Amino acid sequence: MRSRDVFSYSFSAIKLRKLRAGLTTLGVVIGIAAIVALLSITQGLQTTITEQLQKGFATNTLIVSTGGGFGLGAQGATGSGFKLFVNDTQTINEIENVSMSLAIIQRVGYVQFGGKNRTVTIVGVDFAKYASIYSSTFVAESGAVPLSPENDTVVVGKRVSDPWKNGTLFFNVNDDVEILWTNGTARPPRNETYAGHVATVLQEVGGFGIGPSDSAVYIPISKAERFFGTDECDMIIVKLENDDTATINSTSKAIRNAFEKQVSVTSATAVLNILSNVFSVIQLFLGGIAAISLLVAGIGIMNIMIVSLMERTREIGILKALGMKSRTVLTVFLGESTIIGLMGAAIGIVSGWVLANVVALVFHGGGVFFGNQAAGTGGITITPILTPTVFLGALLFGVGVSVIFALYPAWRASKLKPVEALRYE
Amino acid sequence: MAAIVEAVNLKKTYMLGKVPVEALRGVNLKVESGDFLAILGPSGSGKSTLLNLIGALDKPTEGKLLIEGVNVSTLNDNQLAGLRRRVGFVFQFFNLIPRFTARENVELSMSIADASRAERRKQAENLLETVGLKERMNHKPAELSGGEQQRVAIARALANNPRFLLMDEPTGNIDSKTANEILGLIKRLNVEKGVTIIMVTHDQRLAKQAKRIVQMLDGLVAGEIVN
Repeated sequence: MRSRDVFSYSFSAIKLRKLRAGLTTLGVVIGIAAIVALLSITQGLQTTITEQLQKGFATNTLIVSTGGGFGLGAQGATGSGFKLFVNDTQTINEIENVSMSLAIIQRVGYVQFGGKNRTVTIVGVDFAKYASIYSSTFVAESGAVPLSPENDTVVVGKRVSDPWKNGTLFFNVNDDVEILWTNGTARPPRNETYAGHVATVLQEVGGFGIGPSDSAVYIPISKAERFFGTDECDMIIVKLENDDTATINSTSKAIRNAFEKQVSVTSATAVLNILSNVFSVIQLFLGGIAAISLLVAGIGIMNIMIVSLMERTREIGILKALGMKSRTVLTVFLGESTIIGLMGAAIGIVSGWVLANVVALVFHGGGVFFGNQAAGTGGITITPILTPTVFLGALLFGVGVSVIFALYPAWRASKLKPVEALRYE
Repeated sequence: MAAIVEAVNLKKTYMLGKVPVEALRGVNLKVESGDFLAILGPSGSGKSTLLNLIGALDKPTEGKLLIEGVNVSTLNDNQLAGLRRRVGFVFQFFNLIPRFTARENVELSMSIADASRAERRKQAENLLETVGLKERMNHKPAELSGGEQQRVAIARALANNPRFLLMDEPTGNIDSKTANEILGLIKRLNVEKGVTIIMVTHDQRLAKQAKRIVQMLDGLVAGEIVN
């Protein structure tokens, strides 16, 4: 029998039982849609997070921190009481391949204006160096970031000045604000405060990252040292001359050695690698859950095919009496499941894609994902991504599951003896 | 004339649960090209079993069955399927595919034999004209009378230009007037087109229309009459 005839015979059998075939296909549609939706959202989320991270963490920078390390990708975390100081940048600057380094002191505090308070992160940095490292994100909305700031100069993130995103400003450029933090180490704890002059509002950064944040207030490092009463810094950002893996590795090692392995050095590449691994695991996990629903659909297909086999035993007998080979009977039945799988996968991919976009739309800026950051920074926009791998994988998986679960019924159909099948009532 | 079908000491034993049932106990039979043979016998005499063996729907337990000189026992599943394509089978209960029209049912056996679409369509229309159903070829079996359905089944059996037609009680399920029409058609096919026919029946009157009658009883050929 020609393959076109086999296909049209299979199709005619499906057409005869539209509702049943439709419901069977629905099982595949749901499974594939779940896989596509989950994977494309995860893929989109990964891309968004990676982009955000790259904005704040250029590949040619390293972050040096103490103790437990900065977190993801930290090499050589120790957990001892070792401290980094602002002037440790001098040691780092002498290391080969280092073009510049910058100390950061930060505390959670408040900005007070017109009798109202807002919680912010107060970050002490060297404005010129910081602007040089984060040239795309530490950018003034209007005018320029003051490179030689006065003591009371304050640079604020977009969401500090415009927290409600509706044009009603908390304060604006040239306003004088009170900067305030609670010194918990003093006995008794006391509030420290000083009057700062808002010189610049930064452009909106969006999302979150390691670099400039929309909800931070930046003050000169020298002022921070005095204000926080310490020259101990939270981290040192190191800019390298290039982003070769070898340079990153050797410089990381040299920095650790310079501080007797008491510091952690984190590179963007390492963070990105770990992030990518984490997302792979998440994708595998979510894809696995969705795949289970497809397996359920597969069992549905098997069930329907066995019922169909029983109903059509006589028909199979007729086909065999007319000279159809066992192999062709097998192909006819597998053809039916292939058609169901193909239709299910195709509709499932489209539905999954639509679903992913609906989910992304619903959660856009709504602060459901990463609620805190979203509230403070303007939310993360997830654009679902349907990679060719996911597309082809879903298609093959849908058809594959359908065919595999139809193998047994199809094999049974092909093995029917014509005389017995014809006698079947 | 050359023998198309030759059975030598043909035996077939079924297992009914654990009890062996000897349906054929040593049948000897020869059918020649152009023959019109009626196999007559009461229910349980083994006539349908014999027909199923000749139609390659089943394999004998013992003995030899030669179809055009080929021993059926030596054939594998695929070869048996190939043989069935060269045999036209007409069943008592028509066995048409309900979702297909008359024409599609006739075309089906040709599509199984790899015929092209154009070839199938032309042949199906010719055959349905031969059996007098050209006007109703686009009707499904449920829309046709018993006699019409049987005529579609005969057209389908003839579709691949078979070496012989096997008919299992072809008029057993239709009224006597229509049965006469069908019988007329069968005789015409035999006389005018030279189609070899082997027909199983328990109807004496029908059997008398054949050139030869083989009487079967208890799994054996009990006698033969040449009309």
